[in-house]
Amino acid sequence: MKPIPEQSFYEILEIPQDAPLEEVEKAYQRAKALYGPGSLAIYSLVAPEEMALLNRRIEEAHRVLLDAGTRAGYDATLPDASWKRGAPPPAALPPASEGAAAAIPGAPAGPVTPAAGGTAAGAEAPPPEAPATALDGAPPGQAEPVPLAPAEVAPIPATPSPVAPSVAAAPEPGATGQAASAQAPAEASQPPLAPGAAPATAAAMGTPPVASAARPGGFSMPEGAAWTGEMLRQARERRGLTLHQLAERTKVGRHHLENIEADCYPLLPAPVYLRGILISLAKELRLDPQKVSRSYLEAARAAEAPPAPPKPR
Amino acid sequence: MGEVPTLKLVSPPAPGPRRPRPPLPRPGARARRVVSVGGGKGGIGKSLIAANLGIELARRGRRVVLVDADLGGANLHTCLGVDLPRKTLSDFIERRIERIEEVITPTGIQNLGLISGAMDHLDAANPRYAQKMRLLRHVQAMDVDYAILDLGAGTHLNVLDFFLVSDHGILVLVPEPTAVENAYRFVKAAFWRRMRNVAAVFGYDPLIRSLLAGNTFRSPVELVAALGQRDPEAAENLTRQLATFRPRLVVNQTRTVQDVDIGSAVVTAWRKYFGLEMDYLGPIDYDDEMWKTVRARRPLLVENPGSRASRAFGRIVDGLLALDAAAARGERSR
Repeated sequence: MKPIPEQSFYEILEIPQDAPLEEVEKAYQRAKALYGPGSLAIYSLVAPEEMALLNRRIEEAHRVLLDAGTRAGYDATLPDASWKRGAPPPAALPPASEGAAAAIPGAPAGPVTPAAGGTAAGAEAPPPEAPATALDGAPPGQAEPVPLAPAEVAPIPATPSPVAPSVAAAPEPGATGQAASAQAPAEASQPPLAPGAAPATAAAMGTPPVASAARPGGFSMPEGAAWTGEMLRQARERRGLTLHQLAERTKVGRHHLENIEADCYPLLPAPVYLRGILISLAKELRLDPQKVSRSYLEAARAAEAPPAPPKPR
Repeated sequence: MGEVPTLKLVSPPAPGPRRPRPPLPRPGARARRVVSVGGGKGGIGKSLIAANLGIELARRGRRVVLVDADLGGANLHTCLGVDLPRKTLSDFIERRIERIEEVITPTGIQNLGLISGAMDHLDAANPRYAQKMRLLRHVQAMDVDYAILDLGAGTHLNVLDFFLVSDHGILVLVPEPTAVENAYRFVKAAFWRRMRNVAAVFGYDPLIRSLLAGNTFRSPVELVAALGQRDPEAAENLTRQLATFRPRLVVNQTRTVQDVDIGSAVVTAWRKYFGLEMDYLGPIDYDDEMWKTVRARRPLLVENPGSRASRAFGRIVDGLLALDAAAARGERSR
């Protein structure tokens, strides 16, 4: 029994490596129902972060395994030994292997996932309408499923001056981040993604190292830049989410999300509530929740307070 | 649960000369089994499940004794519609009576006896360690086919130890977050205690203590993995011992298909995170007949054997007997 970050996508979904597509889909639905938010059977079983990690892995597994191309690429990276059974073992801990697995943590999975994640990110990359920003170092063409994403897609040193470019530039690694999970070492060996992004983000997250390692390279921001509604909208579109989907996932009302993206401060709820909304929004978009909420709230306060506040509509 | 003799906490008493006991006829030698019914939360039907499982087993010709091990809140006699027995466990614990067989009260149901919980004074609710050991020893040595222990709520060490020495530790939950939460708490606590017991028996204590001192482990899997780096042999042995920790799950008061599925979902999730197994014995339908019979202080299986819940008990006993048969086959083939 391996810890979640070390389980292969097949182990995550509990299917054999040769499972046909429909079985992958079914297993995915099953896993989502079981481990998703609100599932009674897992209530209080493990810490929320761990559950969130598993859910990310499930989504990732789904993305990679459903596409024949990415799946083949992923399979090629799997060591044969890591998967040799169709069903979970009848008797619990497979003996000896325990120690061995621990001795080489992440050995099989490490190199695998970033690549796979990259592929997934490529597949997920928004259609060409996205490159709104001038300095988009990685043209959408790059997003063709070349399983080498993080390093390549990230624009070579995005000039830190303007705000927009780095935002536009980083999303691919951002998407990768969720897959990378425990593969911090692997990612660390990649060239730096965008200035100032990774370490600060990870640190600010306050989540355990496993989870936060997933975040370096997330949506990067030069220090001090403000998160505006427009940037949040771009971040959302980069992730291929509609307002409706985002509302569903974050359980935040759609009108709130619309008002946030439109910077309609007067229509937004009181700061205490807004902060919570921003945090869950940022989490869903794999941004740094603390930075996003602080920055947005500051902007809202600034707009609201001293000068004549803009009238609601 | 499991075959580590040392985890029975004590060795069985020397087989002295037994006085013949009239009340329970003996239909043929069978392996003695200790079943305990626990689940952490109160009010989820542990006592009723214990009582009805006992009746069902007795009806199938097994000689059964129900033991009300809920020492602070004994009420198994009420579930069975028996008046408060004059002799109870406290007589045994206080050594006013030497042999546990002598506190068995007949229940009016053939093959089924009852050992009522301690009622008369508060101290008995928390027996001293030696008293507990003696009780466990005698329960295991009773000359019956099944001893069914009705455990109290909570995760007190007394409760955990009763659960751990059982051949079948039945974990009860109802499909509600509170019960699920307490069930996980209970089973985790039981598992950690089991781990400490195994570690103590095999002398891994210092090793584990040193591991625990420097780290926090979110799951036993992590701990065993860390142990494996220091001492692979110990880790392997520990893994083998811990794999025998295998609660039997029962989901009580199921109203929908989703409720029924919670059992298998719990088994899957438990395996995913802890690498451990549970056996899902099945659901017990929510059934108004159940509370009617409770109100009437009559056991369900006696009053209304055809009800949905009664049939569910039949299926659960089928499952238990199948597990025993499989275990017996395994022992023979060894």
